Amino acid sequence: MTNETPIVVVKDICKTFNIPGRPPVHALRNVSNHVAKGEVLVVIGPSGSGKSTFLRALNGLETIDSGSIVIDGVELTAAKANLNLLRQGVGMVFQHFNLFQHKTALENLTMPQTVVLKRSQSEADEIGRRLLDRVGIGDKDDSYPSELSGGQQQRVAIARSLAMNPKVMLFDEATSALDPETVGGVLDLMKELATEGTTMVVVTHEMGFAREAADRVTFMDGGEIIEEGTPDTVFDDPRHERTRSFLSQII
Amino acid sequence: MDWILDFYNYRVVGQYLPEFARGLGSTAWISLLALGISLSVGTIGAIMRMSANPVLWRIAAGYVQAIRSTPLLIQIYLIYFTFPALPLLDRRLDELEGGIIALGLNAGAYMSEIIRAGIESISRGQVEGAQSVGMTYLQRMRHVVLPQAFARVAPPLLGQTAVLIKDSSLVSFIGVFELFGAGLVVLNERLMPNEGFLTVAVCYLVIYTVMLSVTKFAQRRLGGATG
Repeated sequence: MTNETPIVVVKDICKTFNIPGRPPVHALRNVSNHVAKGEVLVVIGPSGSGKSTFLRALNGLETIDSGSIVIDGVELTAAKANLNLLRQGVGMVFQHFNLFQHKTALENLTMPQTVVLKRSQSEADEIGRRLLDRVGIGDKDDSYPSELSGGQQQRVAIARSLAMNPKVMLFDEATSALDPETVGGVLDLMKELATEGTTMVVVTHEMGFAREAADRVTFMDGGEIIEEGTPDTVFDDPRHERTRSFLSQII
Repeated sequence: MDWILDFYNYRVVGQYLPEFARGLGSTAWISLLALGISLSVGTIGAIMRMSANPVLWRIAAGYVQAIRSTPLLIQIYLIYFTFPALPLLDRRLDELEGGIIALGLNAGAYMSEIIRAGIESISRGQVEGAQSVGMTYLQRMRHVVLPQAFARVAPPLLGQTAVLIKDSSLVSFIGVFELFGAGLVVLNERLMPNEGFLTVAVCYLVIYTVMLSVTKFAQRRLGGATG
């Protein structure tokens, strides 16, 4: 960890989902956290623990009821915040890829660059091809998402985010929808990004990845952060009973 | 072979070929321009209809309701005869302009319902993918949602376009010369309804066939590999 101001500072955020006819769901209760430049934060926890809501709040896909989120000095939760501008600096990789179905792999990378960053087509093409090579599918540039395997689609999605030069990358259960044989490759790619110094917040069920790649692990349950620390302390010496029981179920 | 000539005298049709060609061209232009209006109005109407702003969606809903509940012929007459009374223009709409606008506004109401269904069928994930790379609302619509929505509803849009092309014959009632008018000329001058209207019918069929292949091409281009 460095002494610089963290890239992501989350302070006391709360979020309640009100579904008519049902008791309100407190997805986030006073959650605070921070991510330093180059740090890899892995968020684990049972489903419904609020970890995805936490991650989605970081780029404003989920609005929060109270608290504040500051990304690289810009307050996302301010009333006048330009969410679209802010999201350019926050890459997001989804469980279901969310690739543009009507665009080829290369076009998925180039279109946001030309439309949002106003890069020239040739520059966007060059960056796009380099990144497709980088994620190991340089030969699939002309394929549509529907012609690619899940693992290949997720690589395109990661490359699409990288093309925007994000300050931080968010991974929302990026391997949960993949066939078992393609999970390893995508996790390896994420580990490579982590060792290259990419600032990452990763929500995952892959404990092996968390142990290997994380600088810090946060365990969430019931919309709260229960425990947090280095992978070694959280996995080998958890202090809380809830962490222990979760880990015993999953490993 | 005389019975053929009795039923359908193609030599007479040959004599009127210039009229039919002129009528066909006129119908094609009227339909194309009305189609342009209807797709623009339909897209804006669909987006307004889905707006959270009650003023916007009520205007869009009211427009669709008004068009659907009145006959097209009356709409054409109203636009042609009533529009000039509005202080928007310093001259009257001519027959052609009035006809095209009426056809466009009419088809636009039906198109907007089809386009709305298309937009609503695009998954939330496509929008979130576009949001995550920082695209604005208009950029998301223009580059992600609408291309896929149009590709998905291309078949019903084509069907509505066929209706529009056929309906364009109604503008002959305010004195616009088009394909149906060419058939009327043959009827009036030679008292030969078969030669007039069978030819007209075949022409409509040809236009529709061309439209069909254009749509299939466009659908492939817009929709990616899955269409």
